[in-house]
Amino acid sequence: MAGILVVLVILLPWVGALAVWLAQNRQPKLQHTLAVIFSVLAALASILLLGDATSDPVIQISLGSAFGELTFVPDGLAVSLTAIATVIGSLAVIFSMEYMRGDEQLGRYYFLVLFFIGAMTGLVLSGNLLFTFFFWEITALCSYGLISFYNDDPKAVAGGIKALIITQVGGVGLLAGTLVAFTALGSFQISDLLANSSALPAASLAFIAFSFLIAAAAKSAQFPFHSWLPDAMEAPSPVSALIHAATMVNAGIYLLARFYPAFEFVPGWRTSVLLVGAISALIASLSALVATDLKRVLAYSTVSQLGYMVYAIGSGSVLASQYHLLNHAFFKALLFLAAGSVIHSVGTRDMRRMGGLRGKMPFVRNVFIIGALALAGVPILNGFWSKELILEVSLENSPLWIHVLMLAGVGLTAFYTFRMIWLVFFGQERDALHYHPAGSPMKFSLAILAVGTFTTWLLFGGLSELLASTLPYHDIEVASTAELVTALLSAPATWFTLVIVAVGFAICWVRARGYRLFGGGWLTPLVESSFGFESLNQWIVRGVSTSAERLRATQTGELNWNIFGIFGGLLLVLIILWLGVK
Amino acid sequence: MTFTPMNIVLLGVIALLGVGFYGLLVTRNLIKVVMVLQILIKGAITALVLAGKLSGNLGLGQSTAATVIVADTIVAVVGLALAVQVRRRFGTLDVPKISTLRG
Repeated sequence: MAGILVVLVILLPWVGALAVWLAQNRQPKLQHTLAVIFSVLAALASILLLGDATSDPVIQISLGSAFGELTFVPDGLAVSLTAIATVIGSLAVIFSMEYMRGDEQLGRYYFLVLFFIGAMTGLVLSGNLLFTFFFWEITALCSYGLISFYNDDPKAVAGGIKALIITQVGGVGLLAGTLVAFTALGSFQISDLLANSSALPAASLAFIAFSFLIAAAAKSAQFPFHSWLPDAMEAPSPVSALIHAATMVNAGIYLLARFYPAFEFVPGWRTSVLLVGAISALIASLSALVATDLKRVLAYSTVSQLGYMVYAIGSGSVLASQYHLLNHAFFKALLFLAAGSVIHSVGTRDMRRMGGLRGKMPFVRNVFIIGALALAGVPILNGFWSKELILEVSLENSPLWIHVLMLAGVGLTAFYTFRMIWLVFFGQERDALHYHPAGSPMKFSLAILAVGTFTTWLLFGGLSELLASTLPYHDIEVASTAELVTALLSAPATWFTLVIVAVGFAICWVRARGYRLFGGGWLTPLVESSFGFESLNQWIVRGVSTSAERLRATQTGELNWNIFGIFGGLLLVLIILWLGVK
Repeated sequence: MTFTPMNIVLLGVIALLGVGFYGLLVTRNLIKVVMVLQILIKGAITALVLAGKLSGNLGLGQSTAATVIVADTIVAVVGLALAVQVRRRFGTLDVPKISTLRG
C-alpha cells in the first residue's frame, strides 16, 4: 500500500504536468481543471501516506553496480515534508485558477508548477543519495523556469538566472558530498551513510558534512547564499508561495535534518550551522526593516525564518526545526497568497503606493493580519509555538551570544511585520489605486491556510511521534501537544520573548504615528548592496565573463590552428603516458 | 633497428600519420583537407590491424578496422559533397575564407 502511495505522490503531479501540457493553451479551462485535479489527488495521496510511514524502503529497484538501488523510504521526515509540499502546492494551484486567469501561457505555468511539486516529493522520499541529487536539480530547474516565468521582463530573467546559478553552487556541493560518500561507503543509500558515519575516515565525513551544509545553505537561501531569494520575487505570487512554503527552500532544511545524526560530531559542523542560521536570520530581518516592496519583505522574512530552522538543527533539535517548518509553511503560504491577491487587485508591489486598504479588502486584510501575527510570533497562532520551542531548546545548546542575536531577530520580526501591515492596510491612502475584491478560488485557499495558521501547532504531538517512531538514527523525544504547551508557558524565556515582540510592536507603532516608516538611515545602502554580498556576486560574475572573453582568443575557427592544438594535445598525452611507463 | 615485418608496418603507420598531420597543419584547400584526412585515417586503420596482431587479437583488430573503413568512407563522401557545395556557394575552397563563424 505504501509503495503504491509513494508512486502516486510522485507521479500524479508529473502526469498532471504532462496532461496540462498536452491540453494546449487553447483550452485554459481544461488546463485549470486538470492542474487542480492532479494536485489535489497528490495531496490526498500524501495525506494517506502519513498513516503508512515506515523506516524501511517500500520500493527497491536495482539499477546495476554504478547507481546502486533506487529506493524510496517514506519515513516520518519524508512523509511530513511530502504532505506539506503537496497540500500547500495544491492550495497554490487552486489560488492560481484566479490569479493566472487570462494568462496566455498557462501550459508552461502549470507544467512547471506540477513538475516542481512532484520533484520535491521525490527529493524527500528518495532513499538513494544520487536520486536525491537528481530530484534536487529538477527542483532547481523548475524554480528557474517559474521565477523567469514572465520572460519578457529582463528583471524576471535576471532573477531566475541568479537563482539558478546560486542554487547550482549548492547542487555541486551535494554532488561532491554524494560522490565522496560513495567512494567511502560503496553505496548511495542514505541509511548506509547514517548507519556507518562513525566508521568513515574523519576527513571524508567532514568533507561530506560541509559540502551538504553548502548545498543546504544555497538551496534554503542562507548566508552567504541568501541574495537569490529576494530577487526571485519577480515570479507570480502563487509561485513565490510554492517556493517559500512548499518546495525548494524546505529542501535545504530537509538535507540538514536528514543527515544531522551523521554530522553531529564532526568538529565545527554544529557551530557552523548555528552561525549560518543566526547570521541569516539577523541579516534578513534587518533587510526586511527597510524594504519597500511587499513581496521582498516577505522574502526576507522567509530567509530569516529559515535561519531559525537551521539554528534549531544546529542546536540539536530536528523536531523543533521540522515543527517550525510545518507552521512556517502555512503562515508563509497564507502571507504570500494574501499579498498576491492584494497585488493582483491593485497592480503594484510597492508598499509606498498602498495604504488605507483596510476597508476595501476586508477578507484579505483579516487573513493577512493572521499570517503576519503568526510570523511575528503572537500567542495562539502557530508561529508562536514553534519559534518559542526553538528558542527554548537552543537556550541550553547554543552559545549565549548567538541566542541573544536570535532574540534580537524576534524583535526585528515583530517590527517589520507590524510595519508591513500598517503600510498596506492602514494609514492614509497614498495613491489612487484601483481595487477589486478577491474571488472565490482565492478566498478558498486563503481560508484553508488561515484555519491552518490557527491550528497546525496542535499537530506537535503527532509530528513528534511520527518522527520518533520512523527515524532510527535521530534521537527524538516524543512529547504531546499538552506537554509542549505547559512546558512553554511555564518557561520564563517564553515571557521574555513575548516582551521583546511587544517592544518591537511598540517601537513600530511610535514610528507609524510619526509616519517614519520609510527612511532607513544607514541601513538602506547596506541592504541595497545586500550587506556587500551583491558586490561579491558581481565580482565573481565579472571574473568569469572576463576570463571567458580572454579565452575567446583561442577560438580562432581556423582549421590549421585547431589541428595544431589537437597535435599538441596528443603529444602531451604521449609524454604523460611515457613518463607514467618510466 | 632490424627490419622485421612488424617494424616496417610500424614505420608505415608513423609515416602515414605524419603525412596526415602535416597535411592538416598546412593545407587550406578543402579537397586537399579531405585527402590528407583520408591518409591520416588510413594510418590509424593500419595501426589498428597492427595492434590486433601484436596483442594476439587479429580478428578484433581487423573487424574494428573494417568498421572504421566504412565510417571514414562516409566522412570522405560527405566532406567532398560539402566541398562541392562550398565551391558553388562561396566560389572558393580556401578554408579560412569560407569561415563565417564570428567568434
